[in-house]
Amino acid sequence: MNTNSNVYTVIYTTVVCVLVAAILAFVSSSLKPKQDANEKAETISQILTAAQFGEKSEWQAKGNAAVLDFYKQNIAEAVLIDASGNRAGELSAADAAVYGKSELKAQNYNVKDGKDMKVPVYIFKNGVSVIPVYGAGLWGPVWGYIALQSDLKTIAGAYFDHESETPGLGGKIKDDPAFRAQFKGKTVDFNDSKAAFSIVKGGAPAGKANAIDAISGATMTSRGLDEAINVWLGAYKAYLTKNPEE
Amino acid sequence: MNAKLKETILNPILKGNPITVLVLGICSSLAVTVELKGALVMALSVIVVTGMSSLICSLLRKTIPNRVRIIIQLVVVAMMVILVDQVLKSFEATFPLDKQLSVYIGLIITNCIVMGRIEAFALGNKPIPSLLDGLANGVGYGLILIIVAFFRELFGSGTLFGIPVLSALGYTNNGLMILPPMALILIGCIIWVQRSIQKDLQEN
Repeated sequence: MNTNSNVYTVIYTTVVCVLVAAILAFVSSSLKPKQDANEKAETISQILTAAQFGEKSEWQAKGNAAVLDFYKQNIAEAVLIDASGNRAGELSAADAAVYGKSELKAQNYNVKDGKDMKVPVYIFKNGVSVIPVYGAGLWGPVWGYIALQSDLKTIAGAYFDHESETPGLGGKIKDDPAFRAQFKGKTVDFNDSKAAFSIVKGGAPAGKANAIDAISGATMTSRGLDEAINVWLGAYKAYLTKNPEE
Repeated sequence: MNAKLKETILNPILKGNPITVLVLGICSSLAVTVELKGALVMALSVIVVTGMSSLICSLLRKTIPNRVRIIIQLVVVAMMVILVDQVLKSFEATFPLDKQLSVYIGLIITNCIVMGRIEAFALGNKPIPSLLDGLANGVGYGLILIIVAFFRELFGSGTLFGIPVLSALGYTNNGLMILPPMALILIGCIIWVQRSIQKDLQEN
């Protein structure tokens, strides 16, 4: 057969493309449940790390099932709130439903323009509330979770993740426990005229309760994270200042 | 095993190493060699992709229309890369590593080694030698990746596979090791060492 004729070429490429598409569609749909389960456990383990229930790496070692069990046992409720700080819904605690990166990304537009916003607050039985943040780093999105004590002002802990920040520099927002540890005990201050919370290049002024040091060599990532935190804190402002002691 | 097959397997690892001799696939070796774990998964992924795409293209070699052969190769390679990515994402153990490597798994598609071996070898040889050639090229690539990652993680972060080694001794991390240029310098050193041992690789 003449493998160089036009008809043969067209038919051959069509068949190959359809075949490959079919294989990929089949594999993708059959592996999807497992991938989603992994994503979900990853998100929950990040929330748990932010809320100071152990470290991310420990949860990873314990496996997905342990993460889900612990979350279900310790969560009081996961509520969705709107721009004016009112409850607009609930995430099922029994299913351990959480907002992953894609949901946060979708909400990020609403958070910025303040309309149709529905963002989660994870309230644990020990009184700690965890809120997510999302924004742009240097190379891609950065996001994370900030845990607040029951006064909704004092930060209990934080955890951040990123898509493609430079390992060893911007990647430290995730990999360097010392960076995360800075958040512990700091406060969110909506009365501060500049920003409710700031990550300061060159080091935070001593004694300033709502600022931490930026990462050297990662100015853009630090700045992006600073903006992500402030934009999302702004969105939660109504909720956080409404019921200081619940 | 006959001499020709042995040559097929050993050549890409030593005398015809894709990175140090052919100088292909440099880009990704700069990006994923900051840590050993990532480099290891990357190496294994590339071995699977080069091996399987060479095998598939070799099986199809008599039917592929010559004018669109590059496109067909690309489709096969892209399919293998997506499959590897999907499988890595599906297991609890490999999921965090896939996250860490993020775009670089997808970028195996553009790795010159894969296409290069299909064009140069798989299209003109039987499936079994092609499979071995693909696998061996992946191993040759992976070997250099792991050597580079070993030095970069050891001196850049003071750890090996995430376990503190030098940092436990009070070593101050060398930030330059983490940046891509250092990978290039290390690869240059490996090429230097290899050429001073294998004199026939030296050019005049």
